[in-house]
Amino acid sequence: MGKPATESITLSNELDIKAAGPLAAELLAARGKDLAVNASQIERVGGQCLQVLLSAAATWSADGAELTIEEPSPAFVDAIQTAGLDLAQFTARSN
Amino acid sequence: MDTMAAIKQTFFQECEEQLTEMEEGLLMIEREEGDLETINAVFRAVHSIKGGAGAFGLDDLVRFAHTFETTLDGMRSGKLEITPQVVKLMLRSADVLSDLVRISRDGGEMDATRVAQMTEELSKAGGMAPAPAVQPAPAADFSFEPVAAGGDGAGVDEFGFAPVQISFDTLISEDVAAGAHRFEISFTPRPELYSKANDALRLLRELGRLGDMEVACDVAALPPLDEIDPEGAYLTWKIDLSTDADEKSVREIFEFVEFDCDLSIDVNVIGMDEESASQTVEAILAQVAAEEAAQSEAVLPLAVEPVSAPIEPAAALEPAPKTPVAANQQSQPAAQSAQQPGATIRVDLDRVDRLIDLVGELVINQSMLAQRVTEAGIARLSDVAVGLDDLEHLTREIQDSVMAIRAQPVRPIFQRMSRVVREVADMTGKSVRLVTEGENCEVDKTVIERLADPLTHMIRNAIDHGLEKPEDRVKAGKPEQGVVKMVAAHRSGRVVIEVSDDGAGINRAKVREIAVNKGIIEADAPLTDAEIDDLIFAPGFSTAATISDVSGRGVGMDVVRRSIQALGGRITISSRPGNGTTFSLSLPLTLAVLDGMVVTVAGQTLVVPLSAIVETLQPKAADVHGLGEKARVIAIRGSFIPLVDVGSVLSYRDEEADPLQGVAVMVETENQSQCALMVDGIIGQQQVVIKSLETNYGHVFGVAAATILGDGRVAVILDVDAIVAGSRSDVARADANRKRSAA
Repeated sequence: MGKPATESITLSNELDIKAAGPLAAELLAARGKDLAVNASQIERVGGQCLQVLLSAAATWSADGAELTIEEPSPAFVDAIQTAGLDLAQFTARSN
Repeated sequence: MDTMAAIKQTFFQECEEQLTEMEEGLLMIEREEGDLETINAVFRAVHSIKGGAGAFGLDDLVRFAHTFETTLDGMRSGKLEITPQVVKLMLRSADVLSDLVRISRDGGEMDATRVAQMTEELSKAGGMAPAPAVQPAPAADFSFEPVAAGGDGAGVDEFGFAPVQISFDTLISEDVAAGAHRFEISFTPRPELYSKANDALRLLRELGRLGDMEVACDVAALPPLDEIDPEGAYLTWKIDLSTDADEKSVREIFEFVEFDCDLSIDVNVIGMDEESASQTVEAILAQVAAEEAAQSEAVLPLAVEPVSAPIEPAAALEPAPKTPVAANQQSQPAAQSAQQPGATIRVDLDRVDRLIDLVGELVINQSMLAQRVTEAGIARLSDVAVGLDDLEHLTREIQDSVMAIRAQPVRPIFQRMSRVVREVADMTGKSVRLVTEGENCEVDKTVIERLADPLTHMIRNAIDHGLEKPEDRVKAGKPEQGVVKMVAAHRSGRVVIEVSDDGAGINRAKVREIAVNKGIIEADAPLTDAEIDDLIFAPGFSTAATISDVSGRGVGMDVVRRSIQALGGRITISSRPGNGTTFSLSLPLTLAVLDGMVVTVAGQTLVVPLSAIVETLQPKAADVHGLGEKARVIAIRGSFIPLVDVGSVLSYRDEEADPLQGVAVMVETENQSQCALMVDGIIGQQQVVIKSLETNYGHVFGVAAATILGDGRVAVILDVDAIVAGSRSDVARADANRKRSAA
């Protein structure tokens, strides 16, 4: 597979219920490309945005595209830990 | 965001209740009436406030509540001995917490140093490090590099179920010993949970604070990105929690969301050390799993993921769709039992008020109908008249029931006063004990709400001006600690609240001097003791000379009197030099209806509250005697009772009516004295709907309120006490004037 261009997006600092819809839309728009998600700004993240990010990683994985989380902020890491998840679940590798 | 605002409002309402419960508990402990359950109740109250505050990101509140709670926990576990000093500290912390809640609700600036100081004192008392910041969580122990996929096969193409050991030690200093309980919790939020501004992660964090927690997230139900509803809920959490906390504390965390998620909580008590405990748990789990498998193939072990067992993601995922069903069955009884203790509902006050208004209209309508029937000349025993009587009974019953909805005990307001006492006592350096009686007395909610300010002011006055300094008290042969007493009681259809102190009483010479200086009275005005006491209520009496920063908040007793009058109440004062002062508030039980006797005076129709009437009689010439220049008395069964002509007191007529032509209505006033009111005739008894004159017009002397009669006319309701008092001061003045001119 030819290396597609890597898109990158930066997640906003407040990922609450209101952010879930726009986040899903933003991710969907980048579908089909390798994606680098910068998580350095996150100060708060709710369960629903975690769901969207998890689903994106699974979708990317199914598509065979790469999805990486870059510079996860402490708050993001804490949220993932709290939810009993692993950062690896938020990423997808290309095949 | 209306939903959000509404939930927040509910949160603050609940906060009020929790704060009341907390203070009630602490006061019980202070009186040494509390037991472990009392401390638990206080702890729970603070904990619930903290939990709710966390949901709304009220960080200051969360932080302080956390410190407070931790110290309370020390009390609960016996680590912190309960001494009067400790209880005092707790009470002061409770005040700070109340203020934080209030500021979070109404806005404003909290005195940060006060909070910091209190936090430090609490921490010191609890023997712990100061509370950590709650948000955002520090991440000292985590150092993460960007994770690039494609490494070692930590793939997520299969949705995994990966338990992660979380230690909150780095986040929370609260040190929770390995618990005596092990909870297995299955928690599946529904979309409503999120839309009501709760978040699964916050709940998990709360749980983590209770003890050691292991969380596993089941992501099997999560759809791909193009099918996902971003505001949906797809995750299920299995939580294994070891904690000292009891089941109630665990359930409390889910209190606000119990209807918005599928939840099951299983508890195992562990009485051994960690290792054997986990063995036992595993054994139990295995047993449970075996039993369940035997019972039915369909029911899969849900919350029984072994603690340290290797994970088989795919296999473990299967039960997920079943979870809601089984969890539902478990959570249902829990929800019911939570509802049991006081089956109550929250109703918007506007709805109740509308109902009350409508019932008022019904009463008026019913009496109009009755009048029409009478006017139509229908016989009293006819079916129509009898049916109408039934209607009247029914109306009355509806009315009583509706009024009962609004009736609430005065307890909360009394409790609020204990804080006022504490603060003022601290400020003035006096030692004060508040004694309350009759907290269960029920009064209309509006009345209770509007009592807070007047009562606060009266309490402040009682401590600041009423009670003497400790050394003066000792000199006067009194105990060093002053007593302020608040008593509520029902008395002849009204509620009477007395605020008394055992201080020095009113310094009448000084009051008189001030009143003269302020130009309220003439220097040589002849005044009875009661009238001098009454000067305290005169507008403009409060003076800079007597105002300290305690009593002086720009509110004088005249404002107190006005606010009580606006409630259809009355305030009186009685004072005995050396023995203290008593303020007595007499308030209507309800602001809506009243049983009255309809009378005529000088062509006007008036209503006399039935609760004040003792009897009615036709005066005989031999019984009526003149007394002094203006006053008349009537002899009834051997005693002389003042005769007051309502018509002339209310200035309906200039000349006093002839007692022999009218009817004397014997009334009893608040201070138990009797008086005969002269009216021209009695029309009958009737229930009338009170329409406030204060709200719609303004206060009028001698008039308590107005009403609409059956024929559609407006009639005023007499303020019996005011009329009696008015006639007395007339007489007293006339008397004194005469004495003076004679001298």
